[in-house]
Amino acid sequence: MKLLTLSWTHKTSAAPAREALAAVPVEKVLAELHDRGCSEAVAVSTCNRFELYAAGRPDMVKPPEWFLEILSGLAGAEVASEAEVREDHQAVLHLFSVASGLDSLVVGETEILGQIKTGYEAAKSLGMTDKRLNVLFQRALYVGKKVRSETSVAVGASSVPSVAVQLAESIFGCLEGKSALILGAGAMAELAAKHLVARGVGKLVVANRTWERAYALAARFQGESVRWEEFPEQLAQADVVIASTGAPQAVVTRAMVEAAAAKRAGRSIFFIDIAMPRDVEESVHQLDGVFLYRLEDFESIVAKNLANRAESVAAARSIVEAKAEEFDRWAKSLSTEKELSLRHSSRPR
Amino acid sequence: MLLTQVFLNWGAFFLYVAAALTAGHYLFTKDLRASRIMHVLLGIGLCLHLGAWGARVALFWSVPENRFFLPVSSFHGALSYMALALAAVFYVVEGQARLGVLGAFVLPWAAASLGAAVLFANPETAALAPKLRSYWLNIHPMVLMSAYAAFANAFGVGVALLIQERQIKSRKPTELCYRLPSLDELDSLNGRVIAWASPVLVIGMVMGALWSHAAPDYRAGPKEILSLCSAAVYAAFLWLRYGAGRRGRTTVYISLLGFACLLATFFGAELLRGSHSYMGGGQ
Repeated sequence: MKLLTLSWTHKTSAAPAREALAAVPVEKVLAELHDRGCSEAVAVSTCNRFELYAAGRPDMVKPPEWFLEILSGLAGAEVASEAEVREDHQAVLHLFSVASGLDSLVVGETEILGQIKTGYEAAKSLGMTDKRLNVLFQRALYVGKKVRSETSVAVGASSVPSVAVQLAESIFGCLEGKSALILGAGAMAELAAKHLVARGVGKLVVANRTWERAYALAARFQGESVRWEEFPEQLAQADVVIASTGAPQAVVTRAMVEAAAAKRAGRSIFFIDIAMPRDVEESVHQLDGVFLYRLEDFESIVAKNLANRAESVAAARSIVEAKAEEFDRWAKSLSTEKELSLRHSSRPR
Repeated sequence: MLLTQVFLNWGAFFLYVAAALTAGHYLFTKDLRASRIMHVLLGIGLCLHLGAWGARVALFWSVPENRFFLPVSSFHGALSYMALALAAVFYVVEGQARLGVLGAFVLPWAAASLGAAVLFANPETAALAPKLRSYWLNIHPMVLMSAYAAFANAFGVGVALLIQERQIKSRKPTELCYRLPSLDELDSLNGRVIAWASPVLVIGMVMGALWSHAAPDYRAGPKEILSLCSAAVYAAFLWLRYGAGRRGRTTVYISLLGFACLLATFFGAELLRGSHSYMGGGQ
């Protein structure tokens, strides 16, 4: 079996080439390849990478230049010079690394597994995967899951919003039905609102010095807007408070929080202060049931998580290498009379 | 029969220890298998323990005067029953709330209680002292020890709650923070278990009072006073939690204090002696 991989990733190629390729639907790429005589191929397209895997008997697989010419034609741009070409063992190793998140911008991220699955299923539904590619991609998905469960490459949230959501869940459990108060109506506030609504936060209240901007932001999320002077009263109801105003000094004082806490029947409140200079007085964190996290707290958690992930990369690579060699032995055995068994749970016999 | 009882008790003890260790393993890794294994180990342990309890009852009833009274008047019987109730309450609470991770905080108590019974207490049974031959014996201690078992579960939940609160307050949460249940869940479980167990405790105490009223020459001892203290502390907790709407660290400290009072009631009374002494065999 011969396997050929062409890839354009954030590590090796400039954004314009990747963007041009990402604009072409994978179905169109596969249909074009099929029409021109390539019977086995899978394309994986994400915002950070475009990958093409072609397989077949050694005499049947076209040379890289043939694929590059077709892809350049489809993308309407010259993409050939930025492609990385890999063959056979290196190609298997690459796919398994990609599936394990080792080649991703954020090491260990899990979206790539779904993206590989989507690419594989698209090719399968078009009848462009034979036994070898089927086994290769199912194996890649298995290796991706195995690496994430047996090493720490995917442990710990890797972005500020996901850490904030994780912590909110550690305080409140499920966020569904919880309420959030957003102070400020800038881009950061909007981003925060988006994440909270995506996690099921039921009620969103926006307060801003310019009421119209509060109204506009609240309207985008079916939330409620209140006048700036009214926000201290809202502290008694909100579970999560996100502060990102441009005020020169703290707008949420300890006295305000103490007054609100008296009406909260002991319910916890989570302040997320992403403003600079700060919006929430530091001393509120000392109050019982009040948790204040600032931008740098989230950033240091993210940095620690990413460092932990990086430490696990070596262990992850050794799994990927062992599984790639195992796959090679299986692929070679296809041309002999005795095909090796390739089970997910054991080594080939 | 004595051998069967000892053998089954040891088996249950080892299984409880193994279940507690597995729960600890689950807490520090995120291996879901460990949680399932813990559940199975605990289930088998409970069965063995019930078997041991059955053998103990049979042995106890072989003395005609003891017939139809439950063997809880000795230290061994009381500790063993408490471990059984504790493990059973955890099995049910954990099963409902899906909080296997709390096993690391609760199961060590079940293991320690049964461990104390098999290691230090005499498993043999003797004829009951005449004054204990009362139907109250079948209910008063059982009701109270069931309440103790529930409080021990609440204690485990309380400790987990304090750890979780510390984690989040530190601003440097470790993986443990994401494995423990959320503060809200722990807080509500702690409150609910205590709200259920407190009336049981009071009922048990009232039954004791009724029994003592019926018994001639009865004098209240340290155990009665300590148990009143525990009830008062838990009443304070319930008032703060549900009456004054307070939550968080302060209320948890009070619930932990309540459990400390219970431990003093159960073990401290041995040191101070009195009519409840298990060591004295209720003589």
